[in-house]
Amino acid sequence: MHKKLALLFSLLAGILCAGITTTSLADEASAAKVQKLIDAADAARKEAASVGGEWRDTGKMIKKAKALLSKGDYVAAAKLANDAAKQGHLGYEQAMSQKTLKMPSYLHYE
Amino acid sequence: MCRRHTHDSNTFEDGKNMKQLFRRLALVVISCSFITTVQATTPEEDLAVFQNFFKKRFPNVETEDYINGTYAIDPIGRENWEAIEEFPPYEPFIDEGQTMWETPFANGKTYKDCFPDGPALAGKYPRWDKEKGMVMTLPLALNNCRKANGEKPLKYKKGSINSLLSYLSYQSRGQITNVEIPSDDPRALQAYEDGKRFYYSRRGQLNFSCSHCHLQNAGMVLRTEILSPALGHTTHFPVYRSKWGTVGTLHRRFTGCNKQVRAKPFKAHSEEYRNLEYFLTYMSNGLPLNGPGARK
Repeated sequence: MHKKLALLFSLLAGILCAGITTTSLADEASAAKVQKLIDAADAARKEAASVGGEWRDTGKMIKKAKALLSKGDYVAAAKLANDAAKQGHLGYEQAMSQKTLKMPSYLHYE
Repeated sequence: MCRRHTHDSNTFEDGKNMKQLFRRLALVVISCSFITTVQATTPEEDLAVFQNFFKKRFPNVETEDYINGTYAIDPIGRENWEAIEEFPPYEPFIDEGQTMWETPFANGKTYKDCFPDGPALAGKYPRWDKEKGMVMTLPLALNNCRKANGEKPLKYKKGSINSLLSYLSYQSRGQITNVEIPSDDPRALQAYEDGKRFYYSRRGQLNFSCSHCHLQNAGMVLRTEILSPALGHTTHFPVYRSKWGTVGTLHRRFTGCNKQVRAKPFKAHSEEYRNLEYFLTYMSNGLPLNGPGARK
């Protein structure tokens, strides 16, 4: 009986340990993935800034994504990083589209 | 069959030529429309078109009244503003600025040593500084004076620079805006053109340019506010804004506008904002200075 109980406990302990190891491995993988997204967002922000097209909140979003990552909220951090990356790309495209001066048609030059 | 083939071949060639012709025509049309939008114009032409736009937009407003900003086109707001102007909220700042102007630096010199013509300086700025190859603004010139005399430069948006500017603006009231773009230095025209491009460029998440609010939609209501006309924007700075609860500089206002369209603002007195000030002040050429002002 005692032998059976000991065996059962050892099995349970083994399963738990395996579970914890798997979870921390998964955490590390998720954290690395989110960190990559944050790095990509920051690169996009910098690209927009290089042509004077950075948007107001992009940097703040990246900062917030970093804070969420450190708290382990990977889903929210990843979403925010993706949104920030989009802003970076759009800011760059916008600035490039405005490189050539386009005078408004309501100003009437003769 | 052969002839038929030839005929088909000709038809084919004709079709090909027609396509090429259409392509060329399309290119010409596109190029022409492009030229229309990016045609080179002189600052004088820009000024005339800019000021005429407002004459047509608000035919009952005297050109000189644009120095009063939105109160030139908003009679109810004007009544409130005139009541505020009876006890101007910027007055203590003028007094403080006068003290600053007259108080010697640690080395015994004063601002007057840098600006021997006295405190009525605002009408001389912004100006093209050929030696430095850049647009020189009044706050920048004041800080250059401080640095040359071993003093710490003042912050450009908030704080005591506003008192000094209030005093100088008050002393300069009535001077006529007369920004010059010297023809002997092409960099001056380039700075003007850069400022102009900034003014008409979309930026920020809201995808607005300065001109969208203050030219195209001047006089329209945005939430509870009437959008002020761009003409005369530079005549009354620094400005006591009730929203700020203090006096603020023109570049602080630029920063605020850029933030409102959700663009990351540039630094005060950065090249971008200096060039913008150069263009925008040029657009008010001919209007008298009436700073400091009071606004909501």
